[in-house]
Amino acid sequence: MDINKVKKQWQELSTSIEDIDYAVSGHDYNVCLESDRVRDFAASMLEEGFYLVDLMAVHVTPAIEVVYQFAHVETRCRVLARAFVDGNGEISTISDIYQGANWHERETRDFHGVVFVDHPYLEPLILPEEDVDLKPLLKAEANLKDVATVRRQPPEPAPEPKAKPEPKPKPEAKPEAVKSQEQS
Amino acid sequence: MSMDVEILEDPKHHRYVLNMGPQHPSTHGVLRVLLELEGEYAMELLPVLGYGHRCHEKIAEHKPVKSFMPNTARMDYLGALIYNHGYAQLLERAAGIEVPERVEYIRVITSELNRIQSHLLWYGAYLLDLGAFTPIMYSFDDREHILDILEDVTGSRLTYCYFRVGGVSKDIDDKFVTSTRAFVKRLRSRFPMYEDLVNGNIILQKRLIDVGELTPHTCARYGITGPLLRGTGVAYDMRRAEPYSIYSKFDFEIPTGTKGDCMASFMVRFHELEQSLRIIEQALDGLPEGPIMAAKVPKKLKIPAGDYNSSVEAPRGELSYYLVSDGSDVPYRLKVRTPSYSNLSVVPEMCQGMLLSDVVSAMGALDLVIPEIDR
Repeated sequence: MDINKVKKQWQELSTSIEDIDYAVSGHDYNVCLESDRVRDFAASMLEEGFYLVDLMAVHVTPAIEVVYQFAHVETRCRVLARAFVDGNGEISTISDIYQGANWHERETRDFHGVVFVDHPYLEPLILPEEDVDLKPLLKAEANLKDVATVRRQPPEPAPEPKAKPEPKPKPEAKPEAVKSQEQS
Repeated sequence: MSMDVEILEDPKHHRYVLNMGPQHPSTHGVLRVLLELEGEYAMELLPVLGYGHRCHEKIAEHKPVKSFMPNTARMDYLGALIYNHGYAQLLERAAGIEVPERVEYIRVITSELNRIQSHLLWYGAYLLDLGAFTPIMYSFDDREHILDILEDVTGSRLTYCYFRVGGVSKDIDDKFVTSTRAFVKRLRSRFPMYEDLVNGNIILQKRLIDVGELTPHTCARYGITGPLLRGTGVAYDMRRAEPYSIYSKFDFEIPTGTKGDCMASFMVRFHELEQSLRIIEQALDGLPEGPIMAAKVPKKLKIPAGDYNSSVEAPRGELSYYLVSDGSDVPYRLKVRTPSYSNLSVVPEMCQGMLLSDVVSAMGALDLVIPEIDR
């Protein structure tokens, strides 16, 4: 696998690519996608020999975010790809490209109510059939956070490699977060 | 309309539907598989999950990160310490906690004992599925020694909660070291017996060779990892590919197969027993003195905003924890990627057109633990 070639492909398909420090987060790359490009992205990943580690959703505002995780068996390259569902809570299925996504998508439908368009059998998998509208992992209004508050804040040029939270998105969290870093 | 009714109303009425599970002994837990049979051949398979769903991910969003540790052991009850390990590593990575060296050694030794214990149970139970009753008596005899060793140090026999963020709960003593060394010697002396008794058996070979073949490409499409993937010839092991803890210090091989059939993954698991023993021996030799807990682990552990991942090699494949944090001490979202989940999802494709007795062979070779699938 040639990482530069792969990154070039990602650039065509994605809105942003971010290199992440593996020691801090456990990923190498973070790729943000438009919801209509996930199928193209998945197809290009399969072609490069990546396997699908996981597929899940995170409930944030402005919309539910679907997160795909890929890794490669030859070299360490752990990729997070994310896309927001569209206005109807829908996103295209990738279960015809990565068949393993079939169950992950059914589970995400169970837990978050995300509808995967063109999925061959989008029936409850983990939850019983009568709980099809339960969507247990959707956040209550009071707990729902904006996407910016759950993102890693950009690292400052400091001696320690860890990202320091900026005061803007969540001012009350700052003193504690900084404290825990100093203790480490 | 549910799928089972759909199958029953199928005009191809020479086919019939057999319900395997959720109490069928060869599904090892509460897994149900709807089989559409034509004679003795399984033409369609539909696994039905969720009988053991305990909402672990929902529970995680409602309590401080540190107190989720006991839940991890309840997902995969055979690889509890390895699940502990992945979760402890996730929080240490996220909070930037440095772990003392002795802790890493203890974690590796106990994790590898846990892996051997899991493989030994699979070995006996799988052969029991295939109709060989005797081997489980031998493998449980060996496994019992590990349970005794781990009970002494962790306090439980199955659902261990031994690792803590930044350390382990109790130090190991001389008795642990002596009995572990004795166990390593004992298990190694038993391998020739297993080879004679089981691995060369002609019935076993006829039941496993060329059954349930997988290719590396199939594994990539389904996200299959662990001994199944290594059985296809891909030497992919988290302990080597993304060396966590102190695995990079040890000299061990990654056993692989070639054909990707049940026999290949069977032999991969069998050879992994020896490799785990090698790691344990090296770790016991190099065991340093020191503290068993990192200094300054805050009581209320706040995780800086962002997302974190931690992957370890569980007995059945890649285990990943994915944590999304909003800066508080309670996870915003915690997703657990369990290996059996992806491994089982290949069954409808892998077992199509197989003899029913081969379906049992093929599903047993997946080494399923249903509670980690249902979570």
